[in-house]
Amino acid sequence: MSETPETPEPQQPRIGVDEWVASAEERRRQGLGTRIEDAFGRTPPVVKLLALVIPFAVYPLFVDSEYLMQVGIDTLIFVLLALGLNVAVGWVGLLDLGFVAFFGLGAYLYAAVASEYAGRHWEAQFAIPLIAIAVAAVGFVVGLPSRRLVGDYLAIVTLFFLQLWLVILVNASFTRGPNGISDIYPLEFFGRQVTSLDGYFYVALIAFVLIISFLYLLNQSRTGRAWRAVREDELASELMTMPVNRLKLLAFAVGAGVAGIAGAIFAPVQGAVFPASFDLVLLITVYAMVVLGGAGNLLGVTVGAVLINASLEALRDANNASWLFFSVIVIALLMLVRPRWLPVAILAGTVAFGLVVHEVAEQLRPSLVEGATFGGTRIDELAEQWVLLPEGAIGPDGLPAGALARLAYLGLVAAVLGLTLVRSRLWRSIGVVPVLYLAACVWENLLLAQPAVARFVLIGAMLVALMAYRPQGLFGRQRVEIV
Amino acid sequence: MRKGMIAVALAVLASAAVVTAAVAKPSATATPAQVATCTNVSLGFLGPLTGPAGFLGQEQISWLKFGVQKYNKENGTRFALVEGDTQLKAPVALTVGRKLASNSKVLAVIGGSESQAVRVTGNLFERTSLANVSGSATAVDLTKGRPYRSFFRVVPNDGVQGPQILNFVSTNLKAKNVVVIDSQDDYSLPLASAITRGLRAKGVTVSRESVSADDTDFSSIVANVGSNVNVVVFATQVATAANTLSNQLREQGKRATVFGTDGAYSPSQFKPRNGHVSIFAPDLHFDPKAAKIIGEYRKFVKKDTSGAFGPATYQAGWVAMSAIRKACADGRTNRVEVTKLVRSSTTPSIIGAPTRFDAKGDLRGGGQFTIYRITNGKYSPVR
Amino acid sequence: MDWDKLVQLIVNGLTLGSVYALVALGFSMVYGILKLLNLAHGDVLMVGAFIGWGVLGWLGGAQDPSVAVWLLIVLMVLVAMVGCGFLGVAIERFAYRPLRRAPRIAPLISALGVSFFIQNSVLLLFGANFRSYEAIDLVDVEVGIHWGPLNVWILRVVVFASAAAMMIGLWILVTRTKLGKAMRATAFDREAAAMMGIDVDRVIVKTFFIGSALAGAAGVLVGLVFGQINHFMGFNYGLKGFTAAVVGGIGSIPGAMFGGLFIGLAEAFSVGYIEDFTRGRLGSAFSDLVVFLILVLFMLLRPQGIFGKPDVKKV
Repeated sequence: MSETPETPEPQQPRIGVDEWVASAEERRRQGLGTRIEDAFGRTPPVVKLLALVIPFAVYPLFVDSEYLMQVGIDTLIFVLLALGLNVAVGWVGLLDLGFVAFFGLGAYLYAAVASEYAGRHWEAQFAIPLIAIAVAAVGFVVGLPSRRLVGDYLAIVTLFFLQLWLVILVNASFTRGPNGISDIYPLEFFGRQVTSLDGYFYVALIAFVLIISFLYLLNQSRTGRAWRAVREDELASELMTMPVNRLKLLAFAVGAGVAGIAGAIFAPVQGAVFPASFDLVLLITVYAMVVLGGAGNLLGVTVGAVLINASLEALRDANNASWLFFSVIVIALLMLVRPRWLPVAILAGTVAFGLVVHEVAEQLRPSLVEGATFGGTRIDELAEQWVLLPEGAIGPDGLPAGALARLAYLGLVAAVLGLTLVRSRLWRSIGVVPVLYLAACVWENLLLAQPAVARFVLIGAMLVALMAYRPQGLFGRQRVEIV
Repeated sequence: MRKGMIAVALAVLASAAVVTAAVAKPSATATPAQVATCTNVSLGFLGPLTGPAGFLGQEQISWLKFGVQKYNKENGTRFALVEGDTQLKAPVALTVGRKLASNSKVLAVIGGSESQAVRVTGNLFERTSLANVSGSATAVDLTKGRPYRSFFRVVPNDGVQGPQILNFVSTNLKAKNVVVIDSQDDYSLPLASAITRGLRAKGVTVSRESVSADDTDFSSIVANVGSNVNVVVFATQVATAANTLSNQLREQGKRATVFGTDGAYSPSQFKPRNGHVSIFAPDLHFDPKAAKIIGEYRKFVKKDTSGAFGPATYQAGWVAMSAIRKACADGRTNRVEVTKLVRSSTTPSIIGAPTRFDAKGDLRGGGQFTIYRITNGKYSPVR
Repeated sequence: MDWDKLVQLIVNGLTLGSVYALVALGFSMVYGILKLLNLAHGDVLMVGAFIGWGVLGWLGGAQDPSVAVWLLIVLMVLVAMVGCGFLGVAIERFAYRPLRRAPRIAPLISALGVSFFIQNSVLLLFGANFRSYEAIDLVDVEVGIHWGPLNVWILRVVVFASAAAMMIGLWILVTRTKLGKAMRATAFDREAAAMMGIDVDRVIVKTFFIGSALAGAAGVLVGLVFGQINHFMGFNYGLKGFTAAVVGGIGSIPGAMFGGLFIGLAEAFSVGYIEDFTRGRLGSAFSDLVVFLILVLFMLLRPQGIFGKPDVKKV
């Protein structure tokens, strides 16, 4: 008998388990990211909530400037808005483009019950819940067209509703028109007025805790599961006898109610409300927060709101903006590009490339490097020796004085888009170097001259990039649409 | 569900505990800093540097920078400028206002440029005794009732503009039939209402129209303008809109000419064949006596695209800087002292009589708007 | 009966309507093929207006043009059409194509991002100041048709005529050429068209090019007639254009044309007569409200619009 080579015993196939999927799962489970995710999933929600709340709660102890307190309060209000928008957009998949109108309605309703103009001062423990209910009711009404409309049409109807709201605000006499309503009375709880910024911060924090707990419980309940079913496949849900229309209306109402509460806190903090505060820019900012954080994920949208509001503040003027810009680039490179040595090589290459170009330009055409940077950080001082800063490219009003800056900007957009089309990894990595340098030049020259506008440009670009490459945002779950 | 309940209860208890602790803590307001000498002092600017009215804010800050440089050179001071961009949005104005107020080097703020910014920051600045001197916030309600005790303006308010316009329209232009248009914002609506009321009181027939601030087509409004209308008073902050309106009036063969309020003032953009415009401070470019300072300004910027907004802000800055310098000289370099000195100051002015303030922060005596007649795009002041 | 006013309002309505029709066409075509609402379409119009303004400045400006006026206008429109066509293609390629298989809400959010990006880029590059075509200097406002109660500036006639010409051209393209047939097939059933050998991706690209080119032309026409352009103007035209597309029947080309004119006239009449109608309670500020109500009414009562076919969902 010839010796047959020993073949290993084939493993007994496990019942009900796909071998390939199971082995892939095993490998995935070893990864660090997944281990954190699992540990996270195992912690009880109370602990998660405390972990989220504690950094906020101690924030005022570390901060003593009114400006930073105001930023903190604004951040919390944005978090509330993001949580509210998350209900309709994240959990049910409805595109609500009129969301900031509910925010404005809440603010104006508060002004209607607690201001010198209205001549009365309701205590907040009555005012805020009533406002929440009233705004929720309006949300219900606005959602009514959704029964007959596909998602896209609903978006436009809600957008029109926002326009309508603004027209009414500006023209109806009882809203005092564009003058807005000033002299809004502070919040008063059981006879004690909230007069300090710290107090408002804690009021907003309490509202946050209550609302996020409420939303969490709602999500865990049957309603939450029904919402998710509607989002995944509306037709199937309807066949499963879920009251789809009622669920959609409920989502609109809940989201609106949350926005109303945010508005009711916003109004006394500001002391005045104006129609122009509730515009499309605010809407798209909240959308960016929800999308970045992960639509459908409570923790995600909270983190998204904090990140974006903090970035917006940092990018408000040229004094601190460069820190944010360059560190985001570096972090993005380090996180997105594998293997680990490649981003380092790219960064080193960019620096070298820049220095070479700067030298060459200085020799050939000195006017190209003679300008001064707009930025006020140490990075900008260093960058002055590294990027091309043509003299007179930007006028004293911050606008491009000639074609050079505009062409550079358009060139950068084209280059970035073109890079996404390059297939070969090698060429892409090489191409990133001059594009990064060009980006730094455009930043120092043009974007720093108008940081307030530049940050919105970056948000728009971020939104497009997110939807194309990572629509689930930071914390969301990847969804696959079965067509 | 049960675990959830416990979670909520614990959360509420925890936050309640934190709140009681917090409410007991005194609030953190910025205390006016004691600056020993005049070498570490800044002027703040609060106005729209980007956004819809950005070009106006840019003009203002350009003249302000020019003024700061000139003052420093002439007086040996080293004042710096801190910019605050409100983007014409109230919440932004509040945040930026707080930022300026928290900056202990800032002893006075030039602005808010727009009345809306003053409304949100008025109480804040008053609390910290931070003098805010504006060169363009002309809304009447800012000094009515209980005024902000640290707000001052070097230009007359709209309460002066309205009557001046309606008097000119009814008396000089002898109009019997007028259309008044507003642009649905906090600037134009009160002005339009005041002018309408005043004209009707004088027996002039007035009809009211309204456009949105970013409308670019007025053809249908013009169709509503009768052929016997003499003047269309347009309260707007967009000069090109006034220009389009007057063109479309001509296109449809109407005899009415446009009278633009001060927001429409722009020799480069509002160039009707026939029209008028009013402005809160005379445009120095048309004043031969101001040739010297215009020349100096033109050496400061490469291209002079300014109108009348800049010089008023320059004047506001001059008032503030003079007060700060006096405070330093008296040895009391703090915000309270600066505000007191601004209130009692008399400062020579490039835009008219020496600047003095009344008890509410307005110009003493009310001040006067300047009206320009425009013929074929050329501006000439009306005496 | 104030005939002067009525005639004038009709003229205004037709001018506005031509612009809205051009915008509505772009919406309709894209929706027909991709079932996607291109929320960034209005901003393409805005970019077209700025391109036209740039060409105007490059060729000497309105005061001193270096070529004949009619040639100047033709050049402005052509350059804007080409530029915006490519812009539309880029938007499709980078913002919509990656999301073909994504949930319906994704391309809409991407469109919001694109719109925001384009608006703020223009703001960054050109500032917030309204820019003016100063077309009055090119062709004085009194040059035109003056016949009885009719006072029409020649440029308004140009707008209406060019819009009509473009729409006729499009109609011929869609009904008589091979590309048009491919577009109609793709709109009817994308998968079947692909199986029939039609290169669906290229058809989509060409659709976007044409739709955006029309919007670009509309932008230049808007600048010529209404004089001022700014970075935010696209929003309003986009919204009204979308309303026109829905009212006319989204996906239908004659529908878009008709819808545009209808909405233009509705807007002109509402501004002109709303005060008389409501006895002074509502001012001309509420004319937008009228358009909104028309949209909502159509959406609730006849969502397929005037020329559209009811959308039947097959399970």
